[in-house]
Amino acid sequence: MASHSTILYLGLAFAAALALYLLFLRYKDIKNWESLDNDSRLPVKGSGPELARRIRLSKQQLETTFDAITDPIAAIDGEFKIARVNKSYAQHVNLPIPLILGRTCFAVFWGKKQPCPNCPAQTTFATGNEASKKNVSHDDDTGGCYDISTYPVVDRAGTTVNCIEYIRDVTEEKHMLDQLIRSEKLATVGVMTAGIAHEMNNPLSGISGTAANMLGMPQKYGLNEKGINRISTILESAQRATVIMKDLLNFSRKQESREALQDLNALVQRALSAIHLGGFNAIKKELLLDKKLAPVLCDPVKIEQVIVNLITNAAQAIADRQAHEPAFKGVITLSTTTTGAFARVDIADNGPGIPEAIRAKIFDPFFTTRPPGEGTGLGLCICYKIMQDHQGRILFESRDTTTVFSILLPRNAPGP
Amino acid sequence: MHSILVVDDEKSIRTMLLDFLEERYRVATVENGEVALDWLEKNPCDLVISDINMPGIKGPELLYRIKQRWPHIITVLITAYNINDYIRMAKTYDICNIIPKTSPFNFDELQTLLHGLLTKEIFGLERYLRARHTILTTAVITSSQQSREVREEITDLFQKRFGMVGEMRLTIDEIVTNAIYHAPRLADNRQKYQEFTEVELLPDEYVHLTAGFDDEKYGVSILDGQGSLRRETVLYKIDRHIHEEGIMDDSGRGIHMSRLFADRMIINIQANFKTEVILMNYFSPTYRGFKPLYINEI
Repeated sequence: MASHSTILYLGLAFAAALALYLLFLRYKDIKNWESLDNDSRLPVKGSGPELARRIRLSKQQLETTFDAITDPIAAIDGEFKIARVNKSYAQHVNLPIPLILGRTCFAVFWGKKQPCPNCPAQTTFATGNEASKKNVSHDDDTGGCYDISTYPVVDRAGTTVNCIEYIRDVTEEKHMLDQLIRSEKLATVGVMTAGIAHEMNNPLSGISGTAANMLGMPQKYGLNEKGINRISTILESAQRATVIMKDLLNFSRKQESREALQDLNALVQRALSAIHLGGFNAIKKELLLDKKLAPVLCDPVKIEQVIVNLITNAAQAIADRQAHEPAFKGVITLSTTTTGAFARVDIADNGPGIPEAIRAKIFDPFFTTRPPGEGTGLGLCICYKIMQDHQGRILFESRDTTTVFSILLPRNAPGP
Repeated sequence: MHSILVVDDEKSIRTMLLDFLEERYRVATVENGEVALDWLEKNPCDLVISDINMPGIKGPELLYRIKQRWPHIITVLITAYNINDYIRMAKTYDICNIIPKTSPFNFDELQTLLHGLLTKEIFGLERYLRARHTILTTAVITSSQQSREVREEITDLFQKRFGMVGEMRLTIDEIVTNAIYHAPRLADNRQKYQEFTEVELLPDEYVHLTAGFDDEKYGVSILDGQGSLRRETVLYKIDRHIHEEGIMDDSGRGIHMSRLFADRMIINIQANFKTEVILMNYFSPTYRGFKPLYINEI
């Protein structure tokens, strides 16, 4: 995330650039922005060479400042046509500057056919005041997230003739903020659940223990077959509640450092052999393990738990798809690689994919797509927390029918 | 017949323990510490099982008072909470055994523990396995060099037989290292051998290993004939590592890690005579996650 001083610096630089720009416009009384393109020709009429030199110098300074700003900036006219952009803008849209000028900002930056709804530039043109819009992202949710501010450029008559559009990439900031909110949410839920789970554990232990006693010594309790039957049901229900309680405890338990240098490839194989799900054997498993992957410091039990969880989810996704397409052949691909400072495990499936509408929620505590009783909705949330405890990451990508979950563990980290 | 008093404010736990234990012992149950002390004034008792969190006198305080007044009574704590949170308390109140209230409750384990405490027969892996069990191998370690071969032999046996060894390689290594380097003492109680050096043990310093399994778990016993490990030392070491005070040094890390990595770690001590550490893993995750504290001293 950009630090406060960086934001301040950018703000100052931007203000300086804007001031220089306005000064420059006033000074030359330029009404025609066509001439304000990115080449170095200057509309200097009937001035002495000294004045021309100063103007050229001023323009160069202005351009240098303009380009030094690492956030995209564009000057647009009332029809949203781009008159001028800085280097960052060009880099962001991945086009050379000449191919940008004269085109509309909604086409170039946002890939749209018409102006964006609630465009702040529209407000600026209408009111002559600055305007802004926060957390703007592309319709298809690809690319980043931006804060957009627009500032009016007025002529001598006070009419807003142009508008400076300042776009700040807040993708990383937003990501960090989301993580912060998520971890705060997790911490709150963690404290709450720890208390509940332990309190639940006490009566549950009594219920299941008593039921087990009764099943073990039915004559002692004068139990007939029907009684035994009912007690079995109680025991089963208690076991189910126990599974939920263990999930909750798992989620809230204070972290214990059980770190050890661990071969991730072995961990993947161990996780694979730990899964006993109906239909799991029929799913094809592909292993693409990086033999050179160096061991990483981690809590092997917890990381195995994460991998088991992700493989189980993948297998369930495949089962969901098979329910609609009986002939469908499911494949789970497990791969290990090194990505920068991280060792990485990818778990990919060709199930139905994760619907876009729920993508933002899948790591939330108690979020589940399973029917009641089949899942606590804590699986991915626990995975997220475990990875967080390891200073690692968990990411996913879901396109059409390929979903890949990746876990990243720092290669030279102090462990969980 | 031994007499046992159960103290717990949760009725279902009291009746559950009563129903199970009365098949073997004379059992009474009470719902809090005050009533317990009262009952003990009037009745003979060999062993008290007490909950930790109760209204009025808390479990540790109750057991402390009992030991002051009736030193012969054996005391055990039981809790639904995370036992790691109580290790410091155990150190303060001289508690050796804390049983987790698991769901389902592990009656077998309770019975094994109580039997050992009441009969003072605590040594030997087979005591902690079910009646139908198999001893896979026994081995004697005579040197540091050979300890690695023994460890590999045992972990290989587990791997071949069960397709799993958990973290046994690491935990056996830690405990055997303790037995070789920390158990043998000089006359002034200094450690006889330096860690990380190759050592040839004298016959009375040999370390005995036994590996075995039953239908729910597999494990190994590591026994030394020194008996220099003390209960206070074990609690001190586990406690400081739980509180992350031992991160910068290795002291006690082995014991702490072994307790964390193995499903069960049982420490049997006969002071100045022998020390046994038993490490066991369950095949199924049913009883995993709740780490009891088991230190038996005779």
